[in-house]
Amino acid sequence: MKPNELLRLVWLNITQNKFKVIMTSIGIIVGAATIVMVIAIGKGGQADVADQFKNLNAGAIDISYDGGNSDFQMDTDETGSGDSGMAMMPGGFGGGATGGGSSGSAGETGDFGGGAGGGGSSGGGAGGGFPDGGSGGDFSGGADGGTGDMPSGDLPDFGGMNGFFGGGSDMEDRMNQENITLNEEDVWDIETFVAGISAVTISYTTRAAVDGGELEEAQSYTIAGVKSEYASISNLTLAAGSFLTDEDDENKEKVCVLGAGIAEEIFGSAIEAYGSVLYIDDRRYVVSGVLEAMGTVASGISPDNAIFIPYETGVKYLVGTAVNPTITVIAADTRSVDDVILAVTDVLADSYPNAEFTFTDAGSKMEAAEASNEILTMLLIAMAAIVFVVGGIGIMNVLFVSVKERTNEIGILKAIGCSRRDILLEFLAEAAAISLIGGVLGSLLSLIITPGVQYLGVRVELSVPAFFLALLFAVGTGTIFGFYPAYKASRLIPVDALSAE
Amino acid sequence: MDALMEMETWEKKTALKAQETPDGAEQAEVIRMQNINKSYQMGAQSLHVLKDISLTVKRGEYLAILGPSGSGKSTLMNIIGCMDVMDEGSYQLDGVEIGHAKEKELVRIRNQKIGFVFQKYHLIPTYNVLQNIVMPLLMRGMGLREAERASMDTIELLGLKERIRHKPNELSGGQQQRVAIARALVGQPTILLADEPTGALDGNSGKEVLKLFQNLNDMGNTIVMITHDLNVAKHAGRVVQIVDGEISA
Repeated sequence: MKPNELLRLVWLNITQNKFKVIMTSIGIIVGAATIVMVIAIGKGGQADVADQFKNLNAGAIDISYDGGNSDFQMDTDETGSGDSGMAMMPGGFGGGATGGGSSGSAGETGDFGGGAGGGGSSGGGAGGGFPDGGSGGDFSGGADGGTGDMPSGDLPDFGGMNGFFGGGSDMEDRMNQENITLNEEDVWDIETFVAGISAVTISYTTRAAVDGGELEEAQSYTIAGVKSEYASISNLTLAAGSFLTDEDDENKEKVCVLGAGIAEEIFGSAIEAYGSVLYIDDRRYVVSGVLEAMGTVASGISPDNAIFIPYETGVKYLVGTAVNPTITVIAADTRSVDDVILAVTDVLADSYPNAEFTFTDAGSKMEAAEASNEILTMLLIAMAAIVFVVGGIGIMNVLFVSVKERTNEIGILKAIGCSRRDILLEFLAEAAAISLIGGVLGSLLSLIITPGVQYLGVRVELSVPAFFLALLFAVGTGTIFGFYPAYKASRLIPVDALSAE
Repeated sequence: MDALMEMETWEKKTALKAQETPDGAEQAEVIRMQNINKSYQMGAQSLHVLKDISLTVKRGEYLAILGPSGSGKSTLMNIIGCMDVMDEGSYQLDGVEIGHAKEKELVRIRNQKIGFVFQKYHLIPTYNVLQNIVMPLLMRGMGLREAERASMDTIELLGLKERIRHKPNELSGGQQQRVAIARALVGQPTILLADEPTGALDGNSGKEVLKLFQNLNDMGNTIVMITHDLNVAKHAGRVVQIVDGEISA
């Protein structure tokens, strides 16, 4: 039979049995919809990962110092130069730098007794009283610490209080610890002695009370002290104004650059924020620039929700020597990240022989995130494959029933001289066509489902290749599973087929 | 009157076809069967359905095979129609030994040399009259338009022109059987095989079909009809009786 005549017959059979075709292809419909959604969700995941890392340079290596052990908190300080940053609260009081914001917000006085108790219970030593701000011990216990707006000069008292409450067995350990603060000299050392790097910068984050704009009362925000090159290293782009300059840094200018989220929160929009004034820890800062929205990030400072100020400005007015900065090194070649880490380790070891630094490289984080996303995608694809197998078995069953139903028809076809090949092809083409219809319907179904999935908060990225793949899988499944029934049909003995009722 | 005119054109065509056949072919044997045996395995038992059947049918002959049910006449019919295979014996159809033919050859023979008419019409329910009738031509590799053109004469001959877009279930039994006959004739087969063609029809429709057969035979078509009804068999030029798998007269 001519192929087009065969297809005409197939078309005739399909249009005569629309309901049956739909019922037959339900498995394929679901399978095709699944495969489109799986790929869309997988791609959405990839896009999420890409977004999270888009302001992260693949060659970026963050170097920070956590102290000799995990309980050790760096940021204690005896001096009164720092004012309110949680990051610098004595451990026994505030419960450690990074956890500072957990319960108390800047601008309100924390629970001193609780804080002190926290320090005491963990047996931590005092933060205060040591000339170089050295600290140690288990300050991290102060869970409900957190206070802001401490007047200068009060801190030594609290330090003393901590010492009073704390004291004890960790004292000696702490004394053996170096007080390590990465600084610009280290940056210079790395720049000079480590080969294969394209940029180095130093930054820190803290939290401080911010007031101004549309805020009704002061609120705690993440403040990042950064150098001018931070913008290019982190791929930051500006919506308005310009980023901080070297002069801002040298002159300790009170200027700031706002993340998109913060600009909107405090001033309503980037345009209104630009050139406005806000108060960080009661000091007046001029907004010299506003960033574009960057989205969520996997690590480091989330630029949307940070206020960037010049590094030295922050040191002078916010954190003092309690700063615990991170040095970011950009490896010129992402493949040489490991070598750069080794070289930096060597350079830092010269300055701090006993210290261990934490290295976090963006590449491996990215790889890990991508790998987990890939695993997820693979799992979803495996699921889709199972759906297709189930759908295929469904098609096979229905086609077997169909062959049974149409045995008589097959007998007639054979009696009037239809070849085995034509019967095989007709049934096979029917299976493929039913599957193709299922594939198309499934793809349409996925378009209907998509808004629902998005509503659930899953990122979905529909793509044309996914639709083609779904159709390919659908037709493939139908043809493979349709083959056996079609083969059975073609092999029927004419006289048996004809006498079948 | 129109029908008569059509009949005449049909006659001319078949006459033309007869001229194309080799010398003496008019009287040649279309079917030559010798010592055909066929058994069916029914569980442990073997059922000997056809016993040493020998039969010849000449070109242009109208033969009725008469027998009660279970006599083996349907099996014989299926073997003649290349729908079933014999166990033993020799069967030549139009000079071709069927016993040696491969499936492909059998398909070709069923399509080109044999026109089947069944008791239950056996039309394909999803196709309309025209689609049912052109099927044998499509299977030869003809395109739909060409096949439709080629089948128009037959359709008109059988008075189905007004019904070509109807589905089989919209037709009466007699009309359905005429569609089936049209389908059998459309490929201009060497032999028309009819299995109880009037079995499912009422008296009048049955008579019409038999009259049609008579006309077709008069036009030169070779017909082999199987029936259990002597009154039906009487319409044929020759009657062969089969009882218990053996030809008795």
